[in-house]
Amino acid sequence: MAKVVYTGRSKELVRRETASAYMFLLPSLVFFIGFVIIPMIICIYTSFFDSTMGKDAKDVFIGFGNYIELFKDGIFIKALKNTFVIVIISVPVVCIFSLWVSSVIYNLNDKVLSVFRCIFYLPVVTGSVAVTVVWKWMYNNYYGIFNYIGKSTGVLKTNINWLGDERFALMCIILILLTTSVGQPIVLYVSALGNVDNSLVEAAQVDGANELQLFWKIKWPQIMPTTLYILVITTINSFQCFALIQLLTSGGPNHSTDTVMYYIYYMAFKMFRYGYGNAMGVVLAIFIAVLSALQFRVAKER
Amino acid sequence: MKKLLLTGLTLTAAGMLAACGGGKAEQTSAAADSQAETKQEAQAGEATELSLWTYPVGKWGDAATVDGIIKNFNEKYPNIKVSVEYLDYQNGDDQINTAIEGKQAPDIVLEGPERLVANWGAKGLMVDLKDLFEKDSASDIYDPVKTACKSPSGEYYEYPAFMVAHCMAVNKTMFEKADALQYLDLDTHTWTTENFLKAVQAVYDSGQQNVGAIYCSSQGGDQGTRALVNNLYSGTFTDKEHTKYTVDSAENVKALQAIVDQAGLNFDPSIAGGDEITLFRNGTLAMAFCWNASQQTNADNGPAGKTNAGDEIIPMLFPSDDGATELCGGIWGYGIFDNGDANKIEAAKTFIDFVCNDEAQVKESVKASGFFPVRPSVTGVYEGTETADTMKLFEEKFMPSMGDYYQVTKGWTTARTEWWNMLQRIGTGGDVATEAATFTTNANAAAAQ
Amino acid sequence: MKTSNSLKKLYNIVSIIVLIALAFCFVFPLYWIVTGAFKTPVSINSPTPDWIPKELVMDNFKKLFSRQMAPVFELGFIKGPDAPAAVRWMINTVFMAIMAMVLTCITASMAGYALAKKRFHGRVLLFTLIVCAMALPKQVILIPLIREMSALKLYNTIWAVILPTVGWPFGVFLMKQFSEGIPTEMLEAARIDGANEFKTFTDIVFEMVKPGVGALAIFTFINSWNDYFMQLIMLSSTSNLTISLGIAKLQAENSTDFGLIMAGATLAAAPILIVFIVLQKYFTKGITLGAVKG
Repeated sequence: MAKVVYTGRSKELVRRETASAYMFLLPSLVFFIGFVIIPMIICIYTSFFDSTMGKDAKDVFIGFGNYIELFKDGIFIKALKNTFVIVIISVPVVCIFSLWVSSVIYNLNDKVLSVFRCIFYLPVVTGSVAVTVVWKWMYNNYYGIFNYIGKSTGVLKTNINWLGDERFALMCIILILLTTSVGQPIVLYVSALGNVDNSLVEAAQVDGANELQLFWKIKWPQIMPTTLYILVITTINSFQCFALIQLLTSGGPNHSTDTVMYYIYYMAFKMFRYGYGNAMGVVLAIFIAVLSALQFRVAKER
Repeated sequence: MKKLLLTGLTLTAAGMLAACGGGKAEQTSAAADSQAETKQEAQAGEATELSLWTYPVGKWGDAATVDGIIKNFNEKYPNIKVSVEYLDYQNGDDQINTAIEGKQAPDIVLEGPERLVANWGAKGLMVDLKDLFEKDSASDIYDPVKTACKSPSGEYYEYPAFMVAHCMAVNKTMFEKADALQYLDLDTHTWTTENFLKAVQAVYDSGQQNVGAIYCSSQGGDQGTRALVNNLYSGTFTDKEHTKYTVDSAENVKALQAIVDQAGLNFDPSIAGGDEITLFRNGTLAMAFCWNASQQTNADNGPAGKTNAGDEIIPMLFPSDDGATELCGGIWGYGIFDNGDANKIEAAKTFIDFVCNDEAQVKESVKASGFFPVRPSVTGVYEGTETADTMKLFEEKFMPSMGDYYQVTKGWTTARTEWWNMLQRIGTGGDVATEAATFTTNANAAAAQ
Repeated sequence: MKTSNSLKKLYNIVSIIVLIALAFCFVFPLYWIVTGAFKTPVSINSPTPDWIPKELVMDNFKKLFSRQMAPVFELGFIKGPDAPAAVRWMINTVFMAIMAMVLTCITASMAGYALAKKRFHGRVLLFTLIVCAMALPKQVILIPLIREMSALKLYNTIWAVILPTVGWPFGVFLMKQFSEGIPTEMLEAARIDGANEFKTFTDIVFEMVKPGVGALAIFTFINSWNDYFMQLIMLSSTSNLTISLGIAKLQAENSTDFGLIMAGATLAAAPILIVFIVLQKYFTKGITLGAVKG
């Protein structure tokens, strides 16, 4: 970011520039402040109250009461754990998978490349709800294709209730999340790999470097910025996983697919505990902020 | 500088006002539009707009039927416009709850006491319908129904319209094939617990892996699983006074354990009551626990009383060890949200009065639900219709077994959630006694609040 | 050297085969949606899947279109003729996505330019706020947002979904990065030529950041189309639903009538898929550009 330089400029100029800057910022600020900043402030504020629905319901100030309760709430802890499981599995898998796919397709001919890129991007454009409902059908206990394939190949003896079984439900959801998350990273990696400085690659080849060395020593550092970007967006996306849960399992069975996102929604609209829900939101925001800050830190060091 | 900031802020505020002004204009003009329309039609009086949200109670979830009813209403009361939204049991509650939070709660809701009285009523969001109950037409409403519509403090938050006793059903062809029909009393539509378990075993042995599903993905249709558990060994869901939950009683634990141990009865946390019906109809399951008269006469996907493959469906009472089955009742009716507009509340009452009490209309309203009237003076609803025989069967064999309406016990919303959560835990191997105890602890904590 | 070469060849061949298999897996759900929409109930509910349906029927679509009706559009006094609700949902969704896209592009390009090229008080603070807010999931502020929308009388209107989307600061951030590339001399030159601020912006700045605007437009469009959560909490009446919500509702009401649900899903996916396939080049370019600058 360039430094603001005041020296040599008259106060008048700065004033004029500030005025014109805010004129340009105004339309955007209206929306940003109105629909992001203000709700955020209200969110933090309400999180200190026992706020619920009802005609005579009054918000009662309880300080950190909601926050203390949060960490005693077994389901919240479970939801937090599930959220992190989703992030921890999906982020590296998405990165590695899309990097591998890209490395295979990036130097194919243009037509083939665009066909592959298009195919892996399909789940993104199909729309989250449409994708979710078809997976629900495929996972179906009684006439889904997974059970059919499993049984006809002899892998499964009896039908598995994929979304109804604690052992599989979360993994099933992560699998869907993965298919809808790799589209963009593949596009990015293909372009990043295509932009790798060829003279460096050739020089290394002359020096007798093998493929693996070539990748780690030459290509990897050059695609690092892309990798970081992908890490950040995939992390944010994984945290936001909501439609899948709401449409497929409602957090069940046995809270094994509850995520913080879903639990906030559940608390707010089934239990009417707005203050408590807001407190969860604040805690989650802090977690994400810390994680993002860490990622930015790493990015800067590079 | 400060001046500038101030100007900026003012402008921001102005912009926001403009932004919302647009929306407001749209809304008021929409209102004006419909007002103009009504005036053209009716010339006199101010038009009132009502919103009616219905849960899928029989054909009350079907636009064509409800439009017909509203047309009848408008012939008599052209000044009251009713717009309808159709909810489903999976998301309906969330939808209403967000709408309440968004200050756009519907004016009228069609549902049962567990929501109207025990949930929104208890939160002070509903209008007391006392004056409707004081009318002559309400005088012969069955007493237990009246009681169910009343809050503990004496306000009526629901005006009842129709009711039914929920039951179960079996696939006759599958039972025949397994030689299990011998366990059913086809005359009284009853069976003992012992025979029920034998029948399940027989059907299971005949190669039907999924005989019945203890569905528990959510609360949808949970009256079926509750009634099954409670009746097997004559347990109860709550105490008589509706003050605390008694799911952890020895009888209920025994029943739950019997279900766990019985091959062919599978806990399925991926489906709810609605899915169970579909699976029963398409021949995946041999019995359904989420059944009632309206399901039996439903002819949406083929002839009534038959599965998709044409197998005959036999409605049954829930099995009971002492021969005295207590069916779980459903009482549907109308509640009014207090949106602070006296005109609307008055109009809503007019609508309810028309639908439930108008001589020419009441039978139509009940028929749309596929259930039964809540007062004896309404007779012959199904006379001369195709479903007359079936409905007579239900009236004679099932309705008398209607049990205690315990769904108005305090903490009901929590108890419902806890119920399917408990079934999920038991389904995944949780110890029955422990899980039932957990249920009772949590539900009773909510009841005590 | 030779062994490593043949090893490489082998690796390439195996990779391509695996990739083709994976590609099939990725196309399959879409194939299943579209074929499912035309299948008969018997074929849908059979435990043995009908990989290539022999009999295609339109029943599911007929059912979908005959379910509920809603006016095609409502503009103040004017109400369009009644049409199947699914058509209205489609119109709502397109309106929502395009509105969000246009508003975001306009506001973000203006703000991005100011942040990149103007020196003013509060700049650092504002930029920090924007970066922080970007990582925050919208769900966190859902409750205050509902209250706010209700106070503005916008709850249960499409605007309640559009406005927070426009407020999301990613666009501003992106456009700032693009605007940094504008040579300051050009702006100075324009100023000396006597162009006013607004003219400078439309004639020079906007022209220069056009590729960025394109990228942002694609992003916003897809995100807003897919933002199920915001739609779920803000919209409730039949005539205000989006197509995603419509299918979700369909799914809740008929949770195992997969034929009907797939018909809805096909309807929802078709337009955006067509747009994507036709404009594929721009999509990939937009995504890449967005990432390079972001």
